[in-house]
Amino acid sequence: MVWDPRSDGGGGPWQPRTNPLEELLRKMGEGFRTKGPSPLLLLGILALLWALTTCIYKVDVEEVGVIQRFGRFHRTSEPGLNLKFPAGIEKVTKVPVRKIFTEDFGLRTLRPGVRTEYAAPSREQERESLMLTGDLNVVVVPWIVQYRIQDPYKFLFRVRNVRETLRDLSEAVVRQVVGDRSVNEVLNRREVIADEAKVELQKALDVADTGLKVVNLELKTTNVPEPVQPAFNDVNKATQDKETMIRAAEEQYNREVPAAEGQAQKVVQEAQGYFAERVNRAKGDANRFLSLWQEYKAAPEVTRQRLYLEAMGDLLPRVGRKFVMDQDQKGILPFLDLGQKGGGQ
Amino acid sequence: MKPRNPILIWVLIAVVFFLGLGGLFVVDEREQVIITQFGKPVGKAIQEAGLYFKWPLIQQVNRFTKTLLEWDGDPGQIPTLDKTFIWVDAFARWRITDPLKFFQTVGNETWAQKKLDDIIDPAVRNAITSHMLIEAVRNTNRDEVDIRSVIGEEETGSDSLFIPITVGRYKITEMIQENAAKKLEEFGIELVDVRMKRILYVEDVQKSVFARMIQERKRIAEKIRSEGKREANIIEGNKARKLAEISSQAYREAEEIKGRAEAEAARIYAQAYSGDPEFYGLLKSLEVYSKGLDEKSTLVLDTSSELWKFLKKIR
Repeated sequence: MVWDPRSDGGGGPWQPRTNPLEELLRKMGEGFRTKGPSPLLLLGILALLWALTTCIYKVDVEEVGVIQRFGRFHRTSEPGLNLKFPAGIEKVTKVPVRKIFTEDFGLRTLRPGVRTEYAAPSREQERESLMLTGDLNVVVVPWIVQYRIQDPYKFLFRVRNVRETLRDLSEAVVRQVVGDRSVNEVLNRREVIADEAKVELQKALDVADTGLKVVNLELKTTNVPEPVQPAFNDVNKATQDKETMIRAAEEQYNREVPAAEGQAQKVVQEAQGYFAERVNRAKGDANRFLSLWQEYKAAPEVTRQRLYLEAMGDLLPRVGRKFVMDQDQKGILPFLDLGQKGGGQ
Repeated sequence: MKPRNPILIWVLIAVVFFLGLGGLFVVDEREQVIITQFGKPVGKAIQEAGLYFKWPLIQQVNRFTKTLLEWDGDPGQIPTLDKTFIWVDAFARWRITDPLKFFQTVGNETWAQKKLDDIIDPAVRNAITSHMLIEAVRNTNRDEVDIRSVIGEEETGSDSLFIPITVGRYKITEMIQENAAKKLEEFGIELVDVRMKRILYVEDVQKSVFARMIQERKRIAEKIRSEGKREANIIEGNKARKLAEISSQAYREAEEIKGRAEAEAARIYAQAYSGDPEFYGLLKSLEVYSKGLDEKSTLVLDTSSELWKFLKKIR
């Protein structure tokens, strides 16, 4: 029963505090005294109450009870109601072994949950997540460690400040892993780093006898410090630009080459058409000639004359000016007005 | 025999009882104990937990923790061998292994922390100043995993600034630990390990490092862009070559076909006409006359020609 200054209006620890239980005991005592004093019985009841409160204890579902007898570790107890020797002989410490704890580094949990929200990091937290890479660049790596108490004995007795040890070790381990990697790796391969750090951290925790088990180590968004971010973003943009340039060139290629191939096909096809035409025409001409020649050979003179006259017959009506001259009259040619137009004579 | 004074006996019993209780003491799992008698240690240190007895009033119990303890170094600016100023935040873990020695030389934990400060801080300083920065950052000479293939970049390795190390972070801390552990032994302290928690550039250096990082990235970005140009040019050149190839190939094929057409035609004509070149001449001439003259032409015919010979005869 602890004295609580708030509930005790201006009194003090020396003023007896009225408690219902005490009241009852006092009344009981009074009752005994009236009937016949029996301080031994009263003492017995008190002893029983004391034993009940210090011998029976409850261990919650997520906990395990660690019992020390005269300071020495004696046993552990499972969830439920348990018995022990009274205070002074045995002491119980409850350790939540089934609970998972989370430590944040370089960020601050605003609202834990399925989707945990984080607040803007403070200056100290910024320093917590700032680290050097193997190529001597600076990166910002916030991370979380989830752990539980695996060995309550070690957890309680081997290390004084387990939480601080965990924090220090995980800072050292994550930096060690990041220190062996290039800035590109840190930015792009978070999972690999987290996995390695988890293994290393577990090793360190085992060596330190903390009794802790790392459940999860997760790197949050890794980045470069703010002043350098635009330059890094520019690299990403450059990659995009490069892609764009290549795409544009490929597009141009794809637009022009098939068209040219079509054009080429067209030219070749046309040539083949020309070939067919030329040969067919030649064959036609030749066959026509041969047929005619066949007849001509039978009657050369007549055919020749016929052909000549037919041609003349066809020709003469079409020709604009015609002169027929006697072979003996030689002087007429100078009188011809060759420039005159039209008219038959 | 009746006790003359029962109250006195009761008081005596109580005194003995409480003295006895006062002589009993519990040593916790976490503790180790030195018994002193008027300030002078008596017997061996008690390092096992349990219930013990001492002489009440005369002997005192001095408790020391048995657990692993923390020491956090005072981060200070330290120049490395390559003259880069860095903040080094080291921490160590230690425990009291010889409580008697500890009790006699140091006394309590506050003083022990002071001793640790005095011994480990300079050890860290010495270790850092006698090594290059990279030695404190890197732990192994692990090769950089070629992540460009993973993220699809085609950079050459020149942007990786991995400098090989000869000592490494782990060995440096080991050296610090060995160095300091020897000195701490005489205080009954075991130095379990020393580790470097944080290594950071000091403000000024950080600025120039940022400038260097920006410069590096710019270089990489330029490189990527020019690579893009190179790729695009290659594709364009490829395109031009392809186009020239295609059109010239087509031209060649077309001309060859046409040539064969001419040859074939010539052969056919020659074959047919060589039977009677004279007749061919006649036919072709007549054809030419017929085609070549029209109403604008003037035709002068001699009466001796084939057509007019009958006219002459008649006259």
